[in-house]
Amino acid sequence: MLGAITMVVAASRTTLTLSATHCHVLLHNNIRPASSFQRLKIPKVAVSKTVNLRNSSSSMSVSAKASETSNGTPKAGASTLHNAEELIDSVETFIFDCDGVIWKGDTLIDGVPETLDMLRAKGKRLVFVTNNSTKSRKQYGKKFETLGLTVGEEEIFASSFAAAAYLKSIDFPKEKKVYVIGEEGILKELELAGFNYLGGPEDGNKRIELKPGFLMEHDENVGAVVVGFDRYVNYYKTQYGTLCIRENPGCLFIATNCDAVTHLTDAQEWAGGGSMVGALRGSTQREPIVVGKPSTFMMDYLSKKFQISKSQICMVGDRLDTDILFGQNGGCKTLLVLSGVTTLSMLENPKNSIQPDFYTNKVSDLLAKKSANV
Amino acid sequence: MTNSAKGSANFRVPVLSNAEDLINSVDTFIFDCDGVIWKGETLIDGVPETLDMLRSRGKSLVFMTNNSTKSRKQYRKKFEALGLTVQEEEIFPSSFAAAAYLKSIDFPQEKKVYVIGGEGILQELELCGIKGIGGPEDRDKTIQFGPGFFIEHDKDVGAVVVGFDQFINFYKIQYGTLCIRENPGCLFIATNCDAVGHFTDAQEWAGGGSMVGAIKGSTQKEPLVLGKPSTFMMDHVSKKFETDKSKICMVGDRLDTDILFGINSGCKTLLVLSGVTTLSMLQSPENDIQPDFYTEKVSNLLTQNDTDV
Repeated sequence: MLGAITMVVAASRTTLTLSATHCHVLLHNNIRPASSFQRLKIPKVAVSKTVNLRNSSSSMSVSAKASETSNGTPKAGASTLHNAEELIDSVETFIFDCDGVIWKGDTLIDGVPETLDMLRAKGKRLVFVTNNSTKSRKQYGKKFETLGLTVGEEEIFASSFAAAAYLKSIDFPKEKKVYVIGEEGILKELELAGFNYLGGPEDGNKRIELKPGFLMEHDENVGAVVVGFDRYVNYYKTQYGTLCIRENPGCLFIATNCDAVTHLTDAQEWAGGGSMVGALRGSTQREPIVVGKPSTFMMDYLSKKFQISKSQICMVGDRLDTDILFGQNGGCKTLLVLSGVTTLSMLENPKNSIQPDFYTNKVSDLLAKKSANV
Repeated sequence: MTNSAKGSANFRVPVLSNAEDLINSVDTFIFDCDGVIWKGETLIDGVPETLDMLRSRGKSLVFMTNNSTKSRKQYRKKFEALGLTVQEEEIFPSSFAAAAYLKSIDFPQEKKVYVIGGEGILQELELCGIKGIGGPEDRDKTIQFGPGFFIEHDKDVGAVVVGFDQFINFYKIQYGTLCIRENPGCLFIATNCDAVGHFTDAQEWAGGGSMVGAIKGSTQKEPLVLGKPSTFMMDHVSKKFETDKSKICMVGDRLDTDILFGINSGCKTLLVLSGVTTLSMLQSPENDIQPDFYTEKVSNLLTQNDTDV
């Protein structure tokens, strides 16, 4: 049991905070309450050099913390976006989530091109941060192009890139390998960063037979298992990843993201990366280092890279427990759009404790001169 | 052994030195299977003689496994193939537990159960008159993603039962996720959450906890767990055999399922080292699950005098 706790604490050092889902899972697994986290001796785990470590007191109180102001008083509920111009003038950078904000599946959401053009014309920096690890930055660049948007690779931060950037930041040894339970995007980013990998889509065709004496070999040089959304997930991959994490000393367990569901096609919500990560959590009884939202790893990375102050950033997203929590944990302004997975009733539900600064129907409401009617 | 003695830092679980005393103090033995009776398809040494001895002394024997891939009937055949005579009513796999649970809550006849798991679960559901869908037949289903594509799911599914499934795939994960998220009141039931198991004698394999973890991750819900260490099956057994829990000894190889199950139920507990747990794991300061005794393997119950481990 302690093993799981120390891994969590270590993870919170590197990624600052854990998702609301994650906290929920911890409570039900009867892991010791928050107060005992302070008493635990933090073991040596690779820490990202680019991360500005903040004193996050406890992972348990993340969602409660998110709705508090800096002096601890509860935040008021989100306001509708009455004055888009004021918000735009108050920040210099907009970070956009992609699924449910810019597009839904492969369909562009109305009014997006004009909105992005307007913001650029006003001199705003645009960044696109997505938890979807199926494509590399380059592949996302092509997707933007196909949809008629002009976005540079350097403006895109997918969690596939985040995984590679994290490994780079901890000087992951080049002679070690990475086992991937995920898609092309992760493989491409690892390759670009100069890391050796195994697994990915081709293991989707592998089958095993549980017969007497059968043993699955695994590469003892695997020093990290990276797990993200994988539509080809199967038992072979689950077992391979499990063996590496359980048997290779010091093997890292990294999750690109833990999203429960995702809009892979515009017609339905699909089980997301949280599912594949959940499978490995279940077999290893360990908590992963999460590099995607709401972990602030990507926020710290790009604020350092672009030399931008976090108070000058507005995070625009459709998901409370990833996008909005990400923005709040990062100390940015937050704008929720209702064009994706979150509805107004979900936002206003008394069980919801994550309150963005503003909410509006969709991104193109930023074009409005007067208040947007929701 | 008092609880305070058990809780002290210097307490060490005693080795089973007096098997006779233990045998005399209980009237029922509950055995886990993987790592206790067999490993994969291989019988562990000395098991047949031990079971015969206990039966000849009038003890009731129960076999309780978290492995939900087989039904009671199929398990009886496995016992038979290994040369052991065991009745169906003595076997309690978690596949049976799932069906027994749904029966106990009067699961509506018109509702269906979506199964992410093996044949065993479907067979037990059928025996209880409950409609099961999914299971092995969904193993080869794939999804082609394209604009506007979505998968249909049966709105009559009132429960999703998840257990070990070596044919787990995205279709099943998505189907189960849709039922739980979109069918009002749909139950999320786990036969068990074992992290790993000895599905072949050569290695530890990712267990049911993995499939359950996948659905936990996509639904953000906690399942109702029926297998060990949940005491659901113990209540069922003690009622059926009309025996007091203090007169039962749970024999298992896994601390966080078998032994915790026994402790939670108020039974005596005996850990065997023939499965997943080693002596150092038992004695590790990180372990806080203490059985009453430990021994090398089940056949150590055969010795009359001190057992050397």
